[in-house]
Amino acid sequence: MSGKLVKILAKSNLGDLVEALGEYGDLYGPVKTSEKAHSFMEFESLSDIDLSYTRTMIPPKKFFIPQEEVLFEFNIDEETYTESPIGEERVVLLGVHSCDIHALNLLAKVFTEELPDKYYLERKERSFIVGVSCVPDEYCFCKSTGTSYAQEGFELFLYDIGGSYFVRVGSLKGHEFVETHLGLFEEAEPSHFDAFREVERERLASFTRELEMSGLQDHLDMAYDSDVWAEYGDKCLGCGSCNLVCPRCRCYDVQDHLNLDLNTGERVRKWYSCMLKDHGLVAGGHNFRPTASERIRNRFNCKGSLREDMVNCVGCGRCTVFCPADIDYVEVMKKVRGDLV
Amino acid sequence: MKDNTLEPMKAKITDIKEMTELEKLFTIEFQDPAYAEGFKYTPGQFVKLGVMGVGEAPISICTAQSGGQELEFCIRNTGRVTNAIHRLKVGDTVWGRGPYGNGFPMDLYKGNDLLLVAGGLGIAPIRGVIQYALQNRERYGDISILYGVRCYDLMLFKEDMLDLFRNGDSRGVKFYLSYEDEEDQVCYGLECERDDRCMQGMVTSLFKKIDRPSKKTIAVIAGPPIMYKFTIMELENLDFRPERVYMTLERRMRCGVGQCGHCIVGTGKSIKYVCKDGPVFTLWDAINTKGMI
Repeated sequence: MSGKLVKILAKSNLGDLVEALGEYGDLYGPVKTSEKAHSFMEFESLSDIDLSYTRTMIPPKKFFIPQEEVLFEFNIDEETYTESPIGEERVVLLGVHSCDIHALNLLAKVFTEELPDKYYLERKERSFIVGVSCVPDEYCFCKSTGTSYAQEGFELFLYDIGGSYFVRVGSLKGHEFVETHLGLFEEAEPSHFDAFREVERERLASFTRELEMSGLQDHLDMAYDSDVWAEYGDKCLGCGSCNLVCPRCRCYDVQDHLNLDLNTGERVRKWYSCMLKDHGLVAGGHNFRPTASERIRNRFNCKGSLREDMVNCVGCGRCTVFCPADIDYVEVMKKVRGDLV
Repeated sequence: MKDNTLEPMKAKITDIKEMTELEKLFTIEFQDPAYAEGFKYTPGQFVKLGVMGVGEAPISICTAQSGGQELEFCIRNTGRVTNAIHRLKVGDTVWGRGPYGNGFPMDLYKGNDLLLVAGGLGIAPIRGVIQYALQNRERYGDISILYGVRCYDLMLFKEDMLDLFRNGDSRGVKFYLSYEDEEDQVCYGLECERDDRCMQGMVTSLFKKIDRPSKKTIAVIAGPPIMYKFTIMELENLDFRPERVYMTLERRMRCGVGQCGHCIVGTGKSIKYVCKDGPVFTLWDAINTKGMI
């Protein structure tokens, strides 16, 4: 009765699931790396990872747009740009939260529509994403941004419903995986659906942080000349941490690195930050965003803008948690709206 | 069509003309015949032009597409990449990919008069519009060109421009020239030649010289950032509707294809990427998108 896109996985089978996923590709999951931080790292067995984590410092975007990657190798004498191999690695991401899945869906819009990015497409093609349900902490506000539930962008999504996992199948790849590993799963009974609904109800009720999103785009526009930008521009250290930890930020720089032979080298692209001073600088010295206030205003407007119908912030809370100047994203947006003075 | 949008394509420099002490005109031709053949562009589009080992920069194409496969770029020696390009000679290799951006919607301008306002290097993209309009003269009504230079020595495309200044009327082109340097004897000479078409001052002062544009006029602006505000004030005084005013913008760009984020402009209400949504925008876009001008 439950159809092919919902299954039940006994918790005792999780290890076997992980093993089966390991046959698809290299396993990455949330590993606790310090008191405050988790990181998506390669792991071998289930005991290496912590599926009850709240957030990693660096979001899963790093698997699709690496922090630094060589686009081309060049040779000046031979006059050649040679495309660098993108690699053959198949990546299984285990334990991705719905906010991060939404962020990947947004990134896919940037990198696969209009002029598709070969590097992104190939990596996406070779990935297998397993979502896992989470419990919000005091920084999470994905319920406000409408990203607390992922409708697509994953292969499987696991919900802890007590003794077992309620598994949603989200893609053809996920479906094929389930069909070839039917022994791991059980059919969902009505009681499982009830348990899933109850778990979701509890999760949604547990959010403590809220940001009113309606009309935010216009509120940002109306606050263009607001003092709020100078206030936070003064606090901002311009370090760009918010950009690095943001699952949706994807600004990149392109640099040519010439080797000491002055003949060969690499063209690389690397993550970049709109909070750095030269982000708006053009040749000749004109800077379109010369002050910290203008840069922070730009960042919040970018985050608050829409990509089609999706807002460019998924409410993961990372920029607030990891800001060394304690700039609180939700607080700034509340001031923009006039909800806080 | 190459499968990697970021892959630079090899091109040879076939000609270089010294224009001023800062600008040279480069003619290039892509070496891959299929790529060169498939390279279709409209005035106002740009190419990411680069030198191996140095980098790439967005440079507007300053011609209108005609039969040949040669492209011209008027390049100011002002940054790392343009400096490297300036050191190249005829026969040397440059690398390019594009064309990027939307360009001027020349089809949409059909049946309209054109008022083209260019300041300094802004004449580069405008030159493509001029060429296109003259190649397809019957599609457009009156053409007025307002070109502002600092001094005669810094005037770009001198031959073309002086030809339009002296002989444009026979082709339905009224060419106006302004110059900033009060001491400039050559420009003063041009002013003596035709004081109804040339004067000392900023490009916006030329609005005193022109006839009132018809309701069916499209205005196109290109120049340094500061010029837009003042030109738009003049156009608003002439009751131009915002969707009839076009401008092309400059921003830092790394990718050219809407990914790298550097050229972003606007607010939550309207965010634009100058590289892919522009670089050509209307005044209506600018009214909706704060920070554009």
